[in-house]
Amino acid sequence: MEDKMVAEMPWLYTALTAYALATFVAIMGVARTRGGAAGAAVSRSYEPLVLGLITAGVVLFVISLAERWIRIGHGPFVNLFELLVSQLFSLGLVYAVAYWRLPVIRPSAIVVMPMMWVLGLWVLTLEPVASVYPPTYHNKWLWAHVGFGKFFLAFCLIGSGIAGIILLRKLPRLVPLFRTLPPDEVLDHVAWRFMLLALIFDSLMLIAGAVWAQDAWGRYWAWDALETSSFLNWLMLGAAIHARLTYRIPVHVGAIAIIAIFVFAFFTYFGTPFYSEAAHKGVI
Amino acid sequence: MIAVLKRLASIRLTLLWMALLGIGAALSYDNPVDTPVWVLVVPLALLGVNLLAAIITNTRINRRGGLLIFHVALLGIVVLAAFGRLTHMEAHIELVEGMGFMPERLINVRQGPLHSGRLDQVHFIQGPYTVEYRPGMVRGLTHSHVLIPDGAGGWERKVVGDDRPLILEGYRFYTTFNKGFAAVLTWMPDGGQPETGTIHMPSYPLFEFRQANRWTPAGASEEIKFWLQLETGIDPEGAWVLDARKSRGTLVVRTGGQRVELQPGGTVRLDQGVLRYDGLSSWMGYKLYYDPTLQWLFITSMLGVLGLGIHFWKKFANHPWPQPDDGGKRSERDASRGGKAIIEEGRVI
Repeated sequence: MEDKMVAEMPWLYTALTAYALATFVAIMGVARTRGGAAGAAVSRSYEPLVLGLITAGVVLFVISLAERWIRIGHGPFVNLFELLVSQLFSLGLVYAVAYWRLPVIRPSAIVVMPMMWVLGLWVLTLEPVASVYPPTYHNKWLWAHVGFGKFFLAFCLIGSGIAGIILLRKLPRLVPLFRTLPPDEVLDHVAWRFMLLALIFDSLMLIAGAVWAQDAWGRYWAWDALETSSFLNWLMLGAAIHARLTYRIPVHVGAIAIIAIFVFAFFTYFGTPFYSEAAHKGVI
Repeated sequence: MIAVLKRLASIRLTLLWMALLGIGAALSYDNPVDTPVWVLVVPLALLGVNLLAAIITNTRINRRGGLLIFHVALLGIVVLAAFGRLTHMEAHIELVEGMGFMPERLINVRQGPLHSGRLDQVHFIQGPYTVEYRPGMVRGLTHSHVLIPDGAGGWERKVVGDDRPLILEGYRFYTTFNKGFAAVLTWMPDGGQPETGTIHMPSYPLFEFRQANRWTPAGASEEIKFWLQLETGIDPEGAWVLDARKSRGTLVVRTGGQRVELQPGGTVRLDQGVLRYDGLSSWMGYKLYYDPTLQWLFITSMLGVLGLGIHFWKKFANHPWPQPDDGGKRSERDASRGGKAIIEEGRVI
């Protein structure tokens, strides 16, 4: 067993603390606006603090990743511990930018941040053991593949956060919390925009992954665990967008579909190690 | 005709065929031998027909440049992937240091019925190689030296390995974990012409303790058993480099009740002739892959994503992101501009 207090751990704990504080402030902030009427100008003074805490968390994750990189000699691409830390960083970064630029999504923090905490709690259960960098990972397409994948998952997460609010608003006790938000139809519109962006980055991730796989293992597609799962995810997303654009799907059904796509993507990324020896066939 | 095409282009069929393709993909997980390729081919063909009909008849696709590019690209990917499977070739080959590529030595050959590459034009000579190992026998980088024709009658040195294949005439040669040592032998039969060849030993270091093989010389009655005692500097606990040039091997020869240990240059007298151990060599196992559609698949898929990006860019520019205080105001604004309002028209994203 590796020492739990290796160089990256203090930064990791601090980063998770920043995310936890952001979650707390976001929930308190939304709770405070419960008296407002729809469309009314309400105090959003808590939002800069949430943004600041998420940004601080992202910076701390960067330091944690850099410390680990220096310690083990390669980037966070191999074992579950480093994949989770890397996702906590990238999901936080994309969400912080979206939070900053698109005020309409800000209340989604009360759904998005707890989702990130699932990753945060998970990473705390893992040992920060050094991983072995496979020879086939010395390839620039790996970076493109992973980078596009991060954007895909982040956009799915934001879409799910907004979809989560649509569903939470169905619960009578929670209606007052979200009274100041735009109607469900507007939130649905925004959530699906993020799913459209997710489709672009999902497609790019599959293309970059295929180019990398061709170089690394001499085939661009082999229906291994991750390839099969990510292709099913792409099909699911494409089918959902087709259905959403063609039929008048009830808003809450659309919200459930978005969350289902995110959950499938989550298991594609993080579930594969449970039913496959390696993420990709030939990686070891 | 148009009515038939419109029926074929139905979005319901799109969703149905997508679901069918999803089932086919799930059944194809890990390429089980008992799953026929039709579970993928049939839904892909149905989706192809549906897509073609939609491109022709659906004005929401064919009047929007970006969306049209995306859907044509999807159709192109299906066609290219199918053509690729018909013309592809996969195989393996083991090449000894100093040996040239010979197509007739390919093993495990699988190829499409329309394969017609120029394999006979592929020429290269295998050189030495090194494989780095980290502590715990974890394989690192492979550097395989090859000589390829320089186009001026000479040879050009090239280093390939891992994710850097050797690409000749569209054929891609990938180094594999399967590599090892070979004993170079010369068999001098009584009254016959000497013949030099190699005996490949099993993959090294995977079968470090099973470096053995058998061979029966032409005209001989008894089989010869070989065992190679290697000194490679292998270090299971530390980092080391597998390099045949720095390795030494003693060849143990057993036949007809006699056991002889040979150093390079050593000979042994057998019943029908003399066997000489010329020295230690190495072999590298390559995976060969050929698919003439690879570049086109990449270009087509990137064009498709570009088309989708252009479409969304225009869409987002026409309908800016809503603001937090957008109640019904925004939809009224959009409606007054003649655009499609968000709330009234749920299909706009």
